[in-house]
Amino acid sequence: MHAVLERVRSYGIVGVFAILFITLSIASPSFLSFQNAANILDQSTILFIFAATTTVAVIAGIFDLSIAAVATASAIMTVNAINWFGMFPGVLTGLLFGALLGLITGLAITATNVNSFIGTLAASFTYRGLGLVLAAGGLVTIADKDVAVSLNSVMEDKILGIKGAVWISLAFVILVGLLLSKTVFGKWVYAVGGNREAAYLAGIRTQRVLVGCYVLSGIGAGLAGVIYAGRYGTGATNAYNDTFVFTAIAAVVVGGVSIFGGSGAVWRGIMGILTFALISNGLNLLGVDTTYQLTILGLLIFIAVAADQAFRRTTRT
Amino acid sequence: MTASPLVLEARNVVKSFGATRAVRDVSLSIPGQSVFGLVGENGAGKSTLAKVFAGVHSADSGEIVLAGEVVSFKSPHEGIRGGVSMMAQEIMLVPDATVEENILLGSIPRRGIFPNRRAMRRRYQELVALTQFDLDPQAKVSSLRIADQQKVEIMRALSQDARLIIMDEPSAALTADEVVRLHESIRKIVDGGATVLLISHFLEEVLSLTDQVAIMRDGELVRVSDTKSETVDSLVSGMVGRSLETDYAHVARAADRPVRLSVHGLTRAPAVTDVSFDVRAGEIVGLAGLIGSGRTEIARCIFGADRLNSGEILVDGQAVTPRSPKAAISRGIFMVPESRKEQGLVLGSTIADNLTLASITELARGGITSSRRVRDTARRLAEKVDLRFTSIAQSAGSLSGGNQQKILFGRAVEVDPVVLIVDEPTRGVDIAAKRGIHGTLQQMADQGLAVVFISSEIDEVLGVCNRVLVVHRGRIQAEFEPPYNQEAVLAAFFGKGGARSA
Repeated sequence: MHAVLERVRSYGIVGVFAILFITLSIASPSFLSFQNAANILDQSTILFIFAATTTVAVIAGIFDLSIAAVATASAIMTVNAINWFGMFPGVLTGLLFGALLGLITGLAITATNVNSFIGTLAASFTYRGLGLVLAAGGLVTIADKDVAVSLNSVMEDKILGIKGAVWISLAFVILVGLLLSKTVFGKWVYAVGGNREAAYLAGIRTQRVLVGCYVLSGIGAGLAGVIYAGRYGTGATNAYNDTFVFTAIAAVVVGGVSIFGGSGAVWRGIMGILTFALISNGLNLLGVDTTYQLTILGLLIFIAVAADQAFRRTTRT
Repeated sequence: MTASPLVLEARNVVKSFGATRAVRDVSLSIPGQSVFGLVGENGAGKSTLAKVFAGVHSADSGEIVLAGEVVSFKSPHEGIRGGVSMMAQEIMLVPDATVEENILLGSIPRRGIFPNRRAMRRRYQELVALTQFDLDPQAKVSSLRIADQQKVEIMRALSQDARLIIMDEPSAALTADEVVRLHESIRKIVDGGATVLLISHFLEEVLSLTDQVAIMRDGELVRVSDTKSETVDSLVSGMVGRSLETDYAHVARAADRPVRLSVHGLTRAPAVTDVSFDVRAGEIVGLAGLIGSGRTEIARCIFGADRLNSGEILVDGQAVTPRSPKAAISRGIFMVPESRKEQGLVLGSTIADNLTLASITELARGGITSSRRVRDTARRLAEKVDLRFTSIAQSAGSLSGGNQQKILFGRAVEVDPVVLIVDEPTRGVDIAAKRGIHGTLQQMADQGLAVVFISSEIDEVLGVCNRVLVVHRGRIQAEFEPPYNQEAVLAAFFGKGGARSA
């Protein structure tokens, strides 16, 4: 009985996804088209990245609420750096800038032992302010038209019918998945999130592992910044709002990653995002007024987490 | 005193936890309006018995008679309503609330939805009249010293009409003058008509404060006597009992083997003061003493988990003094921590991941782990420490206590240290697993390791160790070699006896 419940808890998200998928396939003939699937992926590009790094953070027992702010600052930094150094150095600078901000957050939080939730919340204000400074209060634009066009075509041109940005995002997700499941760092992340004291006493440098998680979040945010700069040729101070962060955390939890740390996997965060995408896509196709969509999504998230709690209680004894 | 009616009577109380029989057939009577002492070694069953009285645990069999009525409390809440209140070892107050709010917490007099301040103050004054405690009712509890916080707890118990107040080691966390205040408090509440059951390791305290005293050993009641007829020595010999015939096969050996671990002047305020000792290859040295005496803190300092104020640690003659567990491991020191669930295992992770937690870097190539190599290594280690499991991929949390402990030993085997420190490895494991753990320790010592063994069970320490150091208040109180005099060792637990006599 417990084993059954445990499996329901563990793979419930797959079931929910399948039910949604089948229902929508029957209810709406246009759902099962390649174009619709490509659209869903396209809309989820950035959330895939955020969900992947958020999964790692949550497994390690921390939250990084600053990723949208870092991504915004990175978008602006990418445009500036392209204007200063050219395309390739510019893109690289954008990525490294995200990593640098993650490193600063991580060092500050682990050195002071501030709660990650509060610490990254404070960091996100700071980095939003930094973005304002870097954009000189407004919008920055890639000056060289040729560079803007070629970077845009990397992101927007389709390969096998799917946009370049989606391929980049999926590649990043796979890399993060491998990092978590196949490397020593990944093992450390699970151990630190599962029992930090035990990990420390087993000789793991727990602070460094946590800093590593913040840096990874920063790299993901940097990538999101680069994609924004490529798509729009600009860096705007409102490139990514904080709803991205909360959606990523919600998706990770709905996907079945324990909010208490120590267990989960990257595919779960991705399933969470896909489920959200399916829900809003389905509501659109079924002609549900967009006014109600957020409300319905919120209720579904709550139900998913409440069910998770209920299963936990049952399987613990 | 003998004329007072009984407040509580226990008849043939039995309480087991799994295979461990914590309380075996205990019968005793506690007279009203008195202080009743309960003493015994760590693990003798004192706290368990008291928790049965208070309704925290329910007895497997036997009866509790409270003021002439048979009761069976199913929860602390029922115990409180029945008139038995237990003060926990740690203070349970709301720090930001005032003294009177804390006392009346749960039964705050109300007028509508608002607290009735006047009724509250009246209730408080009644309790002051009873106890003669002088506290500012409006003071925040967080601003009080611990002895005064205990007064708040006592008044809370009395406000719930407690007839029997159980205090488990109330003076353990107090400074000397706070202990004096606590003792005054206890006398006042007894004058006020209540009864106190006092569990304490401080035998002088028990002798000066109690009217009667009960001695427990291995879950059994040794005797109940008038405190006037007891002395520290008579209490200690009662606590040790007849198990003196236990067979100690050891000779002090390894005297000619090289010193592997050397500790000089280890100090970490306030828990550890000027601790020095050596451990030779092949030796198992016991760190014995009461819980809270500083044994664990010494171990954590050697392992680099806590920083030193001063002192030096040498392994094979070389100064190492590690600043982190990682550094300690790389210098050949490994520690199996005291609490396997809180400090040892990642319960949600697999057996394989737990076994290889400290050695995963060595099992990987270029940072990439091979799950096959992890599994193979884990299986080999599991076999070495005789771990019983159905699947190497099951979670560590699903194993029994003894098997969980074996995982930690397996981890130690793989790290292959020169010095192994084990802290309370057999707490809560069954007899068979305990033997297995002793065997593993002996095996590792035979391979030339220096082993430091910490346990609260005196029989176990004397049975396993080649040499025993008794820790008292952060210092090495005494050193013993076989054949052991168990009474002398136990006396040293309580700060009596030889400055490192052999």
